[in-house]
Amino acid sequence: MLNDKLSRRSFLKAAGVGVAATSALSLLSFTKWRKESSEKSEVSKIPTQCQGCGANRCGIYVYVKNGRIWKIEGNPKANNNPGSVCPRGHGFIHGLYDIHRVKQPLKKTENNTFVPISWEEAFKEIAIRLNLIIMENGPQSVFWLQYPMANAALSFRFMHALGSPNTASHGSTCYVARNAAFNVTYGGLPYIDMKNSRYIIIVGRNPAAGIRLDQLTDLMYAKNNGAKVVVVDPRHSETAVLANDWLPVNPGTDLALLLAMIYVIIDENLYDREFVENNTVGFDKLQDSIVTYPPEWAEKVCHIPKDTIYRIAREFAANKPHALVHRGYHGGYGAGYINSFQTARAVAIINALAGNFERTGGLYMPLKPELGELKEGGHPSPEIPKVPKADGSGIPGRYPLGSYSDGISHAIPELALSGDLSAGFIYHTNPLRTNPNPKRVITGYRKLQLLVTIDCVMSETASISDYVLPESFFLERDDAVDTVHSLKTGQVSIVQQIVKPMFDTKPLLDILVGLSKGLGIEKYFNFTQEEANALRLKPFGITVEDLKKEGVMNVGEAWRDGFKPPKTKSGKVEIYSEKLSALNIDPLPNWIAPLTNPDPADRSSFRLLHGKQSAQTNAMTFHIPMLRQLSLRTDMIRLWINRSRAEELNIKDGDNVLIESDIGRGVMKVRVTEGLHPSCVWMPSGYGGFSKHLDNSYGVGLSYNDFLPTYFDPVVGHVMANEIIVRIKKV
Amino acid sequence: MTDTIKKWGMLIDSSKCIGCHSCTVACQNQNELPPRDNFNRIEEREYGKFPNFSRRFLPVQCQHCDNPPCVKVCPVGASYKRQDGVVMVDAQKCIGCKYCLLSCPYNVRVISEEYGHVHKCNFCIEMVLKGEKPACVTTCPMGVRVFGDLNDPGGEISIALAKVSHIRLLKELNTKPSIYYVIK
Repeated sequence: MLNDKLSRRSFLKAAGVGVAATSALSLLSFTKWRKESSEKSEVSKIPTQCQGCGANRCGIYVYVKNGRIWKIEGNPKANNNPGSVCPRGHGFIHGLYDIHRVKQPLKKTENNTFVPISWEEAFKEIAIRLNLIIMENGPQSVFWLQYPMANAALSFRFMHALGSPNTASHGSTCYVARNAAFNVTYGGLPYIDMKNSRYIIIVGRNPAAGIRLDQLTDLMYAKNNGAKVVVVDPRHSETAVLANDWLPVNPGTDLALLLAMIYVIIDENLYDREFVENNTVGFDKLQDSIVTYPPEWAEKVCHIPKDTIYRIAREFAANKPHALVHRGYHGGYGAGYINSFQTARAVAIINALAGNFERTGGLYMPLKPELGELKEGGHPSPEIPKVPKADGSGIPGRYPLGSYSDGISHAIPELALSGDLSAGFIYHTNPLRTNPNPKRVITGYRKLQLLVTIDCVMSETASISDYVLPESFFLERDDAVDTVHSLKTGQVSIVQQIVKPMFDTKPLLDILVGLSKGLGIEKYFNFTQEEANALRLKPFGITVEDLKKEGVMNVGEAWRDGFKPPKTKSGKVEIYSEKLSALNIDPLPNWIAPLTNPDPADRSSFRLLHGKQSAQTNAMTFHIPMLRQLSLRTDMIRLWINRSRAEELNIKDGDNVLIESDIGRGVMKVRVTEGLHPSCVWMPSGYGGFSKHLDNSYGVGLSYNDFLPTYFDPVVGHVMANEIIVRIKKV
Repeated sequence: MTDTIKKWGMLIDSSKCIGCHSCTVACQNQNELPPRDNFNRIEEREYGKFPNFSRRFLPVQCQHCDNPPCVKVCPVGASYKRQDGVVMVDAQKCIGCKYCLLSCPYNVRVISEEYGHVHKCNFCIEMVLKGEKPACVTTCPMGVRVFGDLNDPGGEISIALAKVSHIRLLKELNTKPSIYYVIK
């Protein structure tokens, strides 16, 4: 093989990082490893789950060569990624050897520097401070914020044991409007059978860059079989590359387009009459209200020609029940506009009109294998606290459609300032970078009497925490069994240790066990991961050993085509929602204009949109040199702007522009393109880091959160992340 | 196994490519490349005017030419072509003169200070000889690449080639690549 002329020093230089202390690796150094690789190579292949995006948790095989992680491949059995891996997954494994890793627990000193502290000391000090806070302000003044992963149940267990309901996810900045709408309509969140669909409409979702591998394989499979794909997005997204039709909708008006499509389907009797009569409620009321929204009206609002709306609606209906509108995610209507909840309702309803629920090529409820419970093994569950959530999620009169498990994450700074919350734990997320208006977030979080961050690197949030507890990297730890791969077949999967921890780090469970001792709740944490996993797998007759061999295993019966009653109150698909009516929320989707609009008199005024790129996950991967270089090499970190608008402002491709909103300003390089609606600019997310500890990503690019005022959608409480108006100026 | 000589080749359908760069990073891992070096690049083109607009991504890697300019210009015989069609660089022989970099019309050869010699895509030949497929082929969610033995008339790639019209990049240069691109 190749001879080795690579010194660690030049390797680091090439990777765009200063030559910091080359830590004494507990594994072989890269140089030594390469040398040994060329002489002999012992390769092993172990299955686990990727955590490169946290959400999909793809099944992967990890190759270890002479004790060092070499490469990964997709596990062909895994439903979420039948055999493939995305670029983030390939790049994320290098996070294990990244120079930015936190190597031992850290404590913040009075002059804001960090000093190492032993685990025992950290557990003791945190417990003492937390006990005082709980005595003074009650347990509900403690919160836990996380990006939910396989082990999410542990956090709820910990918080419930303390007596606090305030566990939140990043959901309010991501997907809660969509979830709330589908919960109201179908009693849950259905999945999409794009593979067998003949007609696929995707509104504002971009699985090609906010990567979801099974959806991409399914989309390609369907296309190869002649299916038609329509992408509705102000930007020509990477998914639009595959589309037969790209509908560059006026940002924030997807609802108008959907209402007009529903109008055509009802007006021309193109809906599935039998399905609507037998399995839905309130269709007659929709029939009455929809008359207001013909395509002739919609084209003025959403800028899609009426003929196109008629054609797409007719084609969609002609292919029913093997036609679907993608359920969406963040983009479009996850947490974007004041009308996002009703937009998602319209998506849910138009699917019902096609009679595609629980049908091949339509929507279906993904299978949910029931994992065994820890209490079966003599580990009691703590009681769910009776106190309401501080952020008002799920409470009538506040944010009635907010969910218990998601909460409203970006309300935490406010609640810290008002004194409702005094102490917090941050796990695998980074509110300073992922919440709107970082200045406000920092002010709020600084007010907390105690802030503990559990992470692998010094994120922005870790940088202002009192304690940073380093979690073992996913390749170094065993973690909880979970069912995230359950779609048309039920699947259990596992994260398992591939290599021994390199530093003094612990998996989350061990951290919670350590904390629980000083908090008087150790009786809820008296089990090992191995024991917990065995109990969880018990109902399936699968041992932990079996699963560790396979990584992913099928359990139970597969999904079958045919209507099954949704878990709504009526047992039917709720087109008209009594539940919403009782809460004084519009029980049918009607047109609501976006909260903000660019100023038509000001040619420098635009709406600021954002979206994911394939190379980066949220704000958590850009410091990893493999992925950092990918973004830099391909010049991805640019603000998209429509060519005709750019010419008016004398802006050329590659120029730097100043972006200003009411709350922030920043400079970014532009990409001048014809592939964007003229009224908006588009910023990739995943950049704009400001943690001084992550020196190679500090100040590279910007984040849309730098420009986003703090909003709470009145119904769900989400961030309304696309309600940003900015001014653009050449610099 | 028959004793007939194999000729490895690839068919790329760029109309299926979403520009996610999974192939790029999978390849970097497979070949133990530092972050700056990559054997796979993806070009992007825009067509049309708003709102009638489209984009295309085009994956480019070593074309494994049958008439390879890089082999011709190498002063020390480090660049060579195997019997099965794969163009290789012998790292022990390479003196890092970069002559081949200049002569390659596809701009897919890399020299890095880390290694001190030229390297590039080699169709993951070590894996291929074990009966597996190159890393860029297996990681791709879109099935952009079909890989196989061009000499096997019943093989996957021959069947795929027969079904579509295809082109080879810069065919006017008479380099005769082993990588074909679907015309779509």
